[in-house]
Amino acid sequence: MGLPLFRTGDDPGPSFFRFAENAGLTSLAWPGDAPSAHATTVIAVRYVGGVVMVGDRQATSSYIASRDVRKIEPADGFTAIAMSGAAARGLEFIRMAQLSFEHYEKMTDATLSLEGKANYLSPIIQRNNLTTPLLVVPLLAGWDPSHQVGRIFEYDGAGGCYERLDFATIGSGSPFADNTLRLGFRSDLDLEGALELGALALYEAGDNDPSTGGPDFVREIFPMMVTLNADGFRELAPEDVAQRFRTINERRTESKGLAGGTLR
Amino acid sequence: MSNFFYVSPEQLIKDRAEFAQKGIARGRSIVAAIYDVGVVMVAENPSASLNKISEIYDRIAFAGVGKYNEFDRLREAGIRWADGTGFTYSREDVDARALANYYAQHVGDMFTEGPKPLEIEILVAQLGNQFRPTKLYRIAYEGTISDEPRFAVLGGDAETIKARFAESEQTLEPLTVTLRNAIAALAGPDRAIPTSDLEVGVLEDGGGRRTFRRLGDDDVSRLRE
Repeated sequence: MGLPLFRTGDDPGPSFFRFAENAGLTSLAWPGDAPSAHATTVIAVRYVGGVVMVGDRQATSSYIASRDVRKIEPADGFTAIAMSGAAARGLEFIRMAQLSFEHYEKMTDATLSLEGKANYLSPIIQRNNLTTPLLVVPLLAGWDPSHQVGRIFEYDGAGGCYERLDFATIGSGSPFADNTLRLGFRSDLDLEGALELGALALYEAGDNDPSTGGPDFVREIFPMMVTLNADGFRELAPEDVAQRFRTINERRTESKGLAGGTLR
Repeated sequence: MSNFFYVSPEQLIKDRAEFAQKGIARGRSIVAAIYDVGVVMVAENPSASLNKISEIYDRIAFAGVGKYNEFDRLREAGIRWADGTGFTYSREDVDARALANYYAQHVGDMFTEGPKPLEIEILVAQLGNQFRPTKLYRIAYEGTISDEPRFAVLGGDAETIKARFAESEQTLEPLTVTLRNAIAALAGPDRAIPTSDLEVGVLEDGGGRRTFRRLGDDDVSRLRE
């Protein structure tokens, strides 16, 4: 690539996506017909000091393609992005989002607001989902430093962006995770409560949705758990996550697979 | 009836060079120097928001003197080039030498073919790692690219500042020493530059992927003490 100089009227500004489209770096629109699975569960739950995210690790086609995929990635120091849908487009989408936020920061010497990041993703999702059957539905969550709260943004397939004040889920395991969250969510959840509820919701999704990977005790592969708060993006240590899922599993084993009348 | 007069190439180049030099000499200078664990860039810049020193990529920084709108457009092009290259290939394939060459080509083209030469001088600095060396590439208004061994000075008064800095610093020093020497070289013997008129950026490994950091007035004051 040569030096990308533009005349004032053609200048793409600080948007990396506009520049990348202009320079032919983005994927082709392909109006073919391919099955597009959303085989995933990712959850975001708000608590008083931020947001907790939990994501499964399984990539599914007609069989299990991979058991240790990372579906939640830091988009920058205070923001996480997760995706469900076609892996190829989803991973490109995450890369595009990560790079775009950094690009904007370098170009303008200012950080995009969390809402700015959320809105920026809308047309990218729209462009992808309305031009190919390789659908991608992301989930954006982060700590908003200017308002000092954790915030969650979910998207519909056409790129519509909606802020959620409680929780959001994406992927094929959503109905099961959503049910658990609906029953267990309170607006005064603390960090520990949110982690516990998030893990339980993912356990439920893994237990009921064939395309969601629950805790894998044989291979010691566990879902990803992430916290976003004033300290930034932090991923829970694997042993910590493993312990949480072992606890849930033991309880369920005792009550022969049932929750046993309480949300646990 | 034609109104064209013959101008010899020598005369043309001389006129253009004089024009560019005059434009560059109007602004303040920049010193960039390698210190024991990084690269520091120091600019005399009373504006706190119109930057002369910027981040390009994980281990690459940019500095420019002369006309702000001209070098700022090159800064933007550099960021786009670096982010585009890293997106297409890999982050480790983004190399300062390639960028410096593109800059040199463009600045050289503008000097000979443009409506007027660019009134700028720019620097591309790279912090080394196990794959690449630490480098300072200086690109002059006519497109000459030079690989400066330990430090580089951009701007009108470059020769004097260069001599002052070379005299004060013979080996690689820690940041505090190099920063003080750079400020002293910029100021000269007869004046002191207040911290608020300095813009300072460094490339230094701090555990993260991105190594560029701006030093605020507080940081600079502490280092100057």
